[in-house]
Amino acid sequence: MSLDFSPVFTSWHFLLGGIGDTLALSALTIALSLLLGGAIGLARCYGPSGLRWALIFYIDSMRSIPVLVVLVWTYFALPIVTGVTLPPFWAAASALTVHISAYVAEIVRAGITSVRPGQSRAAFALGMSRTQAIREIILPQALVRMLPALGSILSITIKDTAIAAVIAVPEYMNRSQTVAGQSFHPIEVFLAATVVYFAILFPVTRVVDIIYARFAYLGRS
Amino acid sequence: MNYDWSVVWRNADVLWEGTKVTVFLAVTTMAMAIPGGIALALMRLSGIRTLSIGSALFVEFFRNLPLILVIYTTYYILPVATGLRFSPIATAIVALSLNVSAYNSETFRAGIASIRQGQSDAGYALGMSRFRVMIDVILPQAVRRVLPVLASTWVSLFKDTSLVSVISVGDLAFESMRVRSQTFRVLEMLTAMAVIYWMLGYPQAKLVDWINNRYRVSE
Repeated sequence: MSLDFSPVFTSWHFLLGGIGDTLALSALTIALSLLLGGAIGLARCYGPSGLRWALIFYIDSMRSIPVLVVLVWTYFALPIVTGVTLPPFWAAASALTVHISAYVAEIVRAGITSVRPGQSRAAFALGMSRTQAIREIILPQALVRMLPALGSILSITIKDTAIAAVIAVPEYMNRSQTVAGQSFHPIEVFLAATVVYFAILFPVTRVVDIIYARFAYLGRS
Repeated sequence: MNYDWSVVWRNADVLWEGTKVTVFLAVTTMAMAIPGGIALALMRLSGIRTLSIGSALFVEFFRNLPLILVIYTTYYILPVATGLRFSPIATAIVALSLNVSAYNSETFRAGIASIRQGQSDAGYALGMSRFRVMIDVILPQAVRRVLPVLASTWVSLFKDTSLVSVISVGDLAFESMRVRSQTFRVLEMLTAMAVIYWMLGYPQAKLVDWINNRYRVSE
């Protein structure tokens, strides 16, 4: 079997634009998910009980529905209900954010509950208010413990953006499909995609590991 | 806008067939990926350089690629590389197994590594062989720690099977979307698909939480 990578090189400009879209979609989704997921995680732990139940239901639902289904539903079905059609990029960004925020919220909750109850009792014993205890004592310790899991959210999000190809977001996966279909060289095009995604994701996971190893000692209690 | 939900009931048999394929894919993949993961983890911990580097490369490779890309690449490469014709469902199982084996390998490795050194030292002090220490001391404790992670991986796998719809495997996602394009009942079919996944996945997610509480490590 002989490989002919020329379609990848003739379309390099088109494919390079796909990397841009992949990174833009990833960065946007990560930023929005950290904000939304952080807020949901805090409300899930400290909010009024009615809100808490609603958020648990939302989080567990997102844990049980495939991200593909969320993407497809947001892009094709939501416009029928609302009458507003989002462009693919924004539909993907909102669907991925809704999905990944649930995971971020779970990470935030796990971090907060990992801080032993003795810590907040000691804070109260020193006369701190609930807000003070949460802000000064619990969150700083919890945050360090959340870091490795939040780091893995980075690579999970980048990988999930490839699924947005299904709703025609012109990111790298989608553009690879286009080039593969036009050139009749799918093997070469997808092998190139393998190299590209690995080159993006491997440094991300490595850097997260290195950063975490440097700060791990802060999480001990 | 008028909705016609009867389309869901009229195609209930198709959705049922798709659901069966989804469950079959998840079960078969896990059945392949547990031995696969154990083999990779033991290779990694074997102390034999080539085996351990090979295992590490395999794991890092598949953990750092989007699953949908692995599915596409497998779909095109597998027939060329092996010279055999693979049905879409066999291709799907190969692609999913490669991915999940890599994750399981890390789970087993972490489980084995989490057992304190003192445990194996005590085993050696009692005159046990390296093999007996692994079988009688380390593994029984490691299994308890591995179980919750395996359960989470199972739920992820169950959801990830939906991605094989891109290579025309007739799973729940594929069948729902096929009926959607035949009937133009977009909202109804996509909502039905989401609800069926939710009904199947929600109890599993809750079960994972229960297993996590049940097997919480306390030293």
